[in-house]
Amino acid sequence: MYDVCIIGSGAGGAPVAYELSHAGFSVIVLEKGKNYKEEDFNKDELAVCRRDFFTPNLTNEQHVINQRAEDGAISRHVGSENDWSFWNGSMVGGSSNLMSGYFHRMKPNDFKLLSVYGAIKGANVADWCISYEELEPYYEKAERIIGVSGEVVQHKFLEPRSTPNFPHAKLEESGVTKWFDRACASLNYESIPTPRAILPQAKEGRNGCSYSNFCGSYGCATGAKGSARAALLQKCDAKIVTEAFVYKLESDAKKITKAHYYDENLTSHAVEARIFVLAAQAMESSRLLLNSKNRHFPHGIANNSNQVGKNLIFSAGGSGSGRFNFEKLSQEQQKELMQTGVFFNRSLQQWYEYETGGKKRKGGTIDFLFEHQNIIPRVKREFYDDEENIIWGEALSNKIHKRLTTSRVLAFEVFNDWLPTDDCFVSVDDEIKDRFHMPVGVINLWGHKHDLEVGEYLAKRAVEVLKEMGAEEIHSSISSSPPPNLVAGGCRFGANPLTSVLDKNCKAHELENLYVTDASFMPTGGSVPYTWTIYANSFRVADIIKKHLA
Amino acid sequence: MFLNSRRIFLKTALFGGAVLVMYGATVFGAVSLMQTMALVQEDLFPHAKSLGIKTEAYLTLILNHSRVTPKEKDFLRNGVQWLNEEAVAMHKKMYSSLSENERQAVLKSIAKYKWGEEWIDKMLTFIMEATFSDEIYGICKNSAGTKWIQFEAGYPRPKEAYL
Repeated sequence: MYDVCIIGSGAGGAPVAYELSHAGFSVIVLEKGKNYKEEDFNKDELAVCRRDFFTPNLTNEQHVINQRAEDGAISRHVGSENDWSFWNGSMVGGSSNLMSGYFHRMKPNDFKLLSVYGAIKGANVADWCISYEELEPYYEKAERIIGVSGEVVQHKFLEPRSTPNFPHAKLEESGVTKWFDRACASLNYESIPTPRAILPQAKEGRNGCSYSNFCGSYGCATGAKGSARAALLQKCDAKIVTEAFVYKLESDAKKITKAHYYDENLTSHAVEARIFVLAAQAMESSRLLLNSKNRHFPHGIANNSNQVGKNLIFSAGGSGSGRFNFEKLSQEQQKELMQTGVFFNRSLQQWYEYETGGKKRKGGTIDFLFEHQNIIPRVKREFYDDEENIIWGEALSNKIHKRLTTSRVLAFEVFNDWLPTDDCFVSVDDEIKDRFHMPVGVINLWGHKHDLEVGEYLAKRAVEVLKEMGAEEIHSSISSSPPPNLVAGGCRFGANPLTSVLDKNCKAHELENLYVTDASFMPTGGSVPYTWTIYANSFRVADIIKKHLA
Repeated sequence: MFLNSRRIFLKTALFGGAVLVMYGATVFGAVSLMQTMALVQEDLFPHAKSLGIKTEAYLTLILNHSRVTPKEKDFLRNGVQWLNEEAVAMHKKMYSSLSENERQAVLKSIAKYKWGEEWIDKMLTFIMEATFSDEIYGICKNSAGTKWIQFEAGYPRPKEAYL
């Protein structure tokens, strides 16, 4: 019997594996995907991004997506039939291998959204049952162990820090950041260097960033990116079983007794442990609990209050961009614009909170970045002329050549709260099963209109900056489209077992030895990418489990 | 290189069939899927040929790839049939028997239909994937595609073909 069995090896599971194995406990990690290492990663766009090499084939594993319309009508979409994937990266380290590593902490008020900003009709807004102050030491621990680079600058919403600066100096930046900073100064906006989970120099067996161009969506070949694999799992002796799909948790009335998994040959195995930690990614963790029914838990493990899968959230917001053309730039500026490899690390958080109509509102974060270097989407955008007619032949080749060699697009991404509601949740399907013969997860989607209003407000600020910089062809798009890589909730933590799945320690209210440490625990998501908070909370729960086992 | 492998020979066979072309209620004739698509690719983006890109070889690879769904494959097959039916309706000949100007006229005609625009978009996408593919796939030599637009691909380059 192991001390700890962890299901999932991403940002939610790996800190527990790292901490508990270093503390001398026996730890086994069950990971559905394969183990890829630095030498396996490359920038093959066709395989990695066009054919989704690191995610399951939808004909084998998929989700059903139920979209809710304004009038309440539900439209059902089967993932494989609609080429709609919610997978992010099935491999040791999970999707943290493929993240861009934009690392922001949540702010103190993010932990008390209900108390500070009040209830919103139609939304299940709740305060967290821990404070920023309780999580701060673990944000610091995560930035030290994972490796966060950047420069702390004073600004209106800088969160309190126990250390004056990041452990690593900021990465090399594009010269265009100077244009950005000047535009912000002119508008009286506070430009912030974006912290990144990327090492600028070698550290503890990981190489520094090679500025090799491309980053998000690709595995890092140097180990500079702070993936759960590179930063944690390769630095501890937890036993990792790959291609192990956990299909059922077995329990008695009080404890999980076994985790049952299939190997690559669909042979079933069982693991016994004193503590079980579930961290399979928000949607899949809820799905496993819902699929694990028994006489003690007829609606699924830890689900006697029917809360498992509820209050699923994503990062709300959207994106936008503007184009810089050579015609309006000096030769020096043209050179700065086209320099690749270096980063455009700039963010705005000036409207993390703002007022409209005399009422205080929760806002969010805007990150700026050059459009992804992937060449196929950039070329595909040139298939149409100004009248939206498809073009080909010489007209197309001339357009591609001109646009790709004499202009570049600067993009922005808006992050604001996706309010939790009764209509956004995870369930399991009655008809469709995956290759393991288990009911697939159903993602029931609904975005509150408040999310769009906040997103639009922030996007307008971003557009102002692009205009001030002299960009052309500026546009933005705020919608309720769920980003598959920014998902949380489904097993929210809270003090009341009737309205939450987990207690303050991320232990299931109803079970003595089940913890959930991926983003499932989050009752609200803050207005930042989630990864740093997932890492920090997992380090926090690791300390709790150490005491539990002692 | 995969082009010499037996696996690819088998793949070619899978997508190497013919489609029947209708003229009204009667069968006008049959055309080769791959030959039609290869010719369309030349008509849509002749620059690929001048760069030495083996777009037909890429079609062979990708159209039998597990991540290209049956729905997409059906659409591509149907597109070949519908393209030829448009050619027959306009010129009483199969697409491959038309002059260059006539073929362009057929392409302009189908581009007005939703399916036609989507089909051309799909064909162009495969051409671009071929043009900017890594040398490991044997489709594009000496980085001709990326050099054409002065594009610096990401590093490291693949050491083996993941597609």
